[in-house]
Amino acid sequence: MTEYRPRQWTRREYHRLDELGVLPEDEPVELLDGQLVVAEPKGAPHATIVARVAAVLRRTLGEDWFVRQQDPIALDETSEPEPDVVVVPGADLDYFDGHPARPVLVVEVAETSLYYDRGYKGSAYARAGLSDYWIVNLVDWRIEVYRHPVSDNSAELGWRYLDVDFLTAGAAIVPLARPDVSVAVSDILPERLRPVRGSR
Amino acid sequence: MTVEVGQVRRWTRTEYQLLATRGVLPESEAVELIDGQLIITEGKTPSHTIAVELMADALRAVFGGGWFVRQQGPIALDEHSEPEPDVAVISGGPRDYLADHPARPALVVEVADSSLLLDRHHKGSAYARASLPDYWIVNLVERQVEVYRRPGTDAAADFGWRYLDVHIVAPGGAVTPLALPDTRIAVADLLP
Repeated sequence: MTEYRPRQWTRREYHRLDELGVLPEDEPVELLDGQLVVAEPKGAPHATIVARVAAVLRRTLGEDWFVRQQDPIALDETSEPEPDVVVVPGADLDYFDGHPARPVLVVEVAETSLYYDRGYKGSAYARAGLSDYWIVNLVDWRIEVYRHPVSDNSAELGWRYLDVDFLTAGAAIVPLARPDVSVAVSDILPERLRPVRGSR
Repeated sequence: MTVEVGQVRRWTRTEYQLLATRGVLPESEAVELIDGQLIITEGKTPSHTIAVELMADALRAVFGGGWFVRQQGPIALDEHSEPEPDVAVISGGPRDYLADHPARPALVVEVADSSLLLDRHHKGSAYARASLPDYWIVNLVERQVEVYRRPGTDAAADFGWRYLDVHIVAPGGAVTPLALPDTRIAVADLLP
């Protein structure tokens, strides 16, 4: 038996908080599983690589796919995270009436948020059945590819990704939505920018 | 205090009050702010409600002028906490707290039916950290009053503090508020 039950926030209440300006601008938060969670701050490396991922995906996937950066996805009643990059079918105007719910690809760029992106967030994405989840790991300078969501009681929200691949320079990733194209890891994480150990 | 990514966002008391006044948190919702988290509180069952009333009456009888007894009113515990203990004894009078809620009640009482773990470990640790000298739990499950005193540090506790002295009093016994050592309240009078 748990000690206490935290109050669950709904997406609608979360929007209201936004409207009221209750949450300070400089403290990014997102709504996940009814809780307001502190999100990764937007430092220069993070912002640069997010832009890079989006540009590479736009160039590679072509016109039938829409690449969104740090915009909300309506995951469920009590979750509205803002993944760094998502790919959804169609075009920008298709989402005028509501945020997309099931992107075909979600990418998170992680520096301080690695533990959270792998664990709690990964579990939330797996639970929602998002089939293709990449973490661009700025600490270890590699891309982690998560696929095949399965239920697992030991996971934070009862789900996790069964297939996990760590890919470094020289490797390429084939997006599940477009098996005819590939994305080179070094296009997103050039070796010349790899952090020197202890330099940050 | 550094904020860790992936941690649940902590609310301050000011923000919490804003949520209430702007109607984001419905009036009817039973939540309390403990260490920045909005916690769902115990429901008001008949036995819970009666136990609160019995305690408030007993305390009003022994605490005379110079004190007042508040039922389920807010306490300004710290920057991120505003619990609403079932009963609290506060020095002075209600008008003394127009500017802000009282911060250091002389006695705090929680009535526990389904909320025993919350009251003992979570709230207990928060109250100990705030150095509240006298904390009682009316345990409706085991029909006893638990008296907690002497706040001390404990790394294993929820907020690094707990009450070092715990004294269980059964229905045959009596409890004495720390602030009034010459009084006694029969536990039998406090149980529904």
